[in-house]
Amino acid sequence: MNEPIILLIIGIAIIIFLIMLFYPAKGIIAKVKKSKIASKKILIEDALKYLYNCEYHQIVCTLNGVAGNLSISADDATDIISKLESLGLVNAKKNELILTPDGRSYALRVIRVHRLWEKYLADETSVSENEWHLKAEEIEHTLTPEQANKLAAQIGNPVFDPHGDPIPSAKGDLPVRRGKLLTEMQAGEFANIIHIEDEPYAIYSQIIAEGLYAGMQIRMLLVTDKRIKFIANGEECVLSPLIAKNITVGIVKLEKQIGENFKTLSSLKVGEKGTILGIAKSLRGQQRRRLMDLGIVPGTKIEAELESLTSDPIAYRVRGTIVALRKQQTDRIFIKNSEVEN
Amino acid sequence: MNNNKFSKESILAAANNLRWEVDENLHDTLMESIYENATSIANKVVKYPDKKQAFSFDRTLDKILTSKYLGFPIMFLILAVVFWITIVGANYPSVFISSVLVDSLHPILKNFADSFMPWWLSGVLIDGAYLAMAWVVSVMLPPMAIFFPVYTLLEDFGYLPRVAFNMDPLYKKVGAHGRQALTMAMGFGCNAAGVVATRVIDSPRERLIAIITNNFSLCNGRWPTQILIATIFIGAAAPAYLAGIASAAAVVFIAVLGITFSLVVSWGLSKTLLKGEASAFSLELPPYRPPRLLQTLYTSLIDRTIFVLWRAVVFALPAGMVIWLVANITIDGISLADHFINWVNPAAFIFGLNGVIILAYIIAIPANEIVIPTVLMLTVANLGLTNLGGGSGVMFEFDSVADTAQILHAGGWTLLTGINLMLFSLLHNPCSTTIYTIYKETKSVKWTVISTFLPILLGLTVTFFVTQLWRIFLS
Repeated sequence: MNEPIILLIIGIAIIIFLIMLFYPAKGIIAKVKKSKIASKKILIEDALKYLYNCEYHQIVCTLNGVAGNLSISADDATDIISKLESLGLVNAKKNELILTPDGRSYALRVIRVHRLWEKYLADETSVSENEWHLKAEEIEHTLTPEQANKLAAQIGNPVFDPHGDPIPSAKGDLPVRRGKLLTEMQAGEFANIIHIEDEPYAIYSQIIAEGLYAGMQIRMLLVTDKRIKFIANGEECVLSPLIAKNITVGIVKLEKQIGENFKTLSSLKVGEKGTILGIAKSLRGQQRRRLMDLGIVPGTKIEAELESLTSDPIAYRVRGTIVALRKQQTDRIFIKNSEVEN
Repeated sequence: MNNNKFSKESILAAANNLRWEVDENLHDTLMESIYENATSIANKVVKYPDKKQAFSFDRTLDKILTSKYLGFPIMFLILAVVFWITIVGANYPSVFISSVLVDSLHPILKNFADSFMPWWLSGVLIDGAYLAMAWVVSVMLPPMAIFFPVYTLLEDFGYLPRVAFNMDPLYKKVGAHGRQALTMAMGFGCNAAGVVATRVIDSPRERLIAIITNNFSLCNGRWPTQILIATIFIGAAAPAYLAGIASAAAVVFIAVLGITFSLVVSWGLSKTLLKGEASAFSLELPPYRPPRLLQTLYTSLIDRTIFVLWRAVVFALPAGMVIWLVANITIDGISLADHFINWVNPAAFIFGLNGVIILAYIIAIPANEIVIPTVLMLTVANLGLTNLGGGSGVMFEFDSVADTAQILHAGGWTLLTGINLMLFSLLHNPCSTTIYTIYKETKSVKWTVISTFLPILLGLTVTFFVTQLWRIFLS
């Protein structure tokens, strides 16, 4: 047994086995977890959620729509729907599927957990943005309503999730849909992004990659059926209508606009001064609170003071103290040059 | 007159409906108006004296201390000086305390106890508990009493935040906070103090990373072990004129390996286990201040030195008893220690260690300082060399390195054992004082268990592969 070569091989084998077992997303443990998720209860809840979304957006929902959304065959979808009918959660009329009041409240319970969890991940953890939705898809089927209420209380009973969707209250109340789609805007209009649809995943991650987020202010430049061009945070952004349809905006009145004349804090050179205009919505939770605690609020004067070896972090003088911030943060803090103002 | 419009339920319902209407920015707006009010009040009643002078001094100093070419050399120079002062300065008081507590007081106490106690009771109390305590105090107190005040002076002056600022790019890459450089440096003094020092990291995720990886800083208690083993095994393997340099290089290599491990493990943790923890970065650079000598001396002695020492002593007393007992309780004429050593030897051989080392690391958990004395005691007892040392269960050390080397060679140690001991000394569980401190700081059994067992797993993995490769290619 004490032959070093044999031991070496055994040792390497054990390590390879452990990696296969624990590897995130592709490991055996992760796969077992995933296969458990594909149970019937989960399909039923996902179908209800989809039906509710159709209702909310006033789209007619069909059997094929359900099958497509859950990525299951039409036969399986028929199974699920008849199960839902027998439970009294859905009425099927000809081609249209309609939720019963029971079905609606069940769907809202699931949606509540989903959006609460997204809010929790966004504010209280450092899980990255494109994982929020996937993680919430898992947790929504396991958390009980009581646990959900506890979680909501813990994070301050939020009313909107990080994508800008309203979170149903514990009683199942939800406000009417607001805003319009990005594709419905006129050139020259100002608007706030109020919602980014997180499904399908491929489109959502494209939107995230563009750096767009709920709460961002934009100015529309051009709307055609080939492309949508607008200015977001001072940078020009071009999307195809297919992607732009996943973004909902609320038109803002003129007096609330941030002017064209703003830039990010990271563009401030050492020795230059500026005045804070605002902190981007994508800095959330603790990060945002910390910045505000340090006195980084609109109207505060700020000066770049010191550069570290790699120019990240940079130290800034704020309200008489010097604070070093990383580029990842200063990219999302907006300022205007003090010189321009004078 | 019960007007339904104003019932509790209807008001609550109305309030709930209004919450949808209220802007998401409510919290921000509140904050802004608080600042606005505070600023306008401050402008009316606070006068700012002309502070230009101090500003320009601070700015010049900052430019030098964080400059491209001078920043790092200055940092390494200051750190080197601090360590040199600690190691050289601690030697004299350490020898003195040891001669009082161990060489003089121990025999007196032992004679006194023997006069009225049964042999086993005086053994447990004096040879076990007292001696372990005395050993811990004499080797732990002097370095800490020097290192902590010097460190606190640098902190007080305002230099340490600049180090964090310089180091942040590196730590950002591994998902940690620049201030971890400071807690790591503190860990070179003492891991328990290093863990307490992580309080300066105000972001929960980065703080946990700093706590779990602090053990990879080679602490004061482990430097002497590294130097001794390097001298005996690595120095001896090199040509005579290179012996000193070779053993010094080996020790430095182990310390750098520790830093590497702390960075790699930080990166791994931030990508896996700690993804679910919140993160927020900010690093304040306070103005430079003349350090307050007396206050610094007082707080660093009370808050850090005495605090850590007290915890170490509390753990050393029972551990000393255990050390004495395992060497003296016999079953079938063989001591518990020997039973364990013989039982573990085959498994330890796979990792290039031996049963004595494994047992020493288990029972010397209160402080890394007593690992070598315990190893010597166990080796002597295991070999049956009754003419050496202070008797069974009594820890001892030799004044000369050659004597120590002789015992270890007699115990079957090879160059490979020496190398593996150096690696295992770097990568094993933190001492009980540190473990307890981690629990106190995190209030979480989960993170305490992870910080305890993660280094052992790494240590066993590393020694395992080193041993196999060594046996295949070098022997």
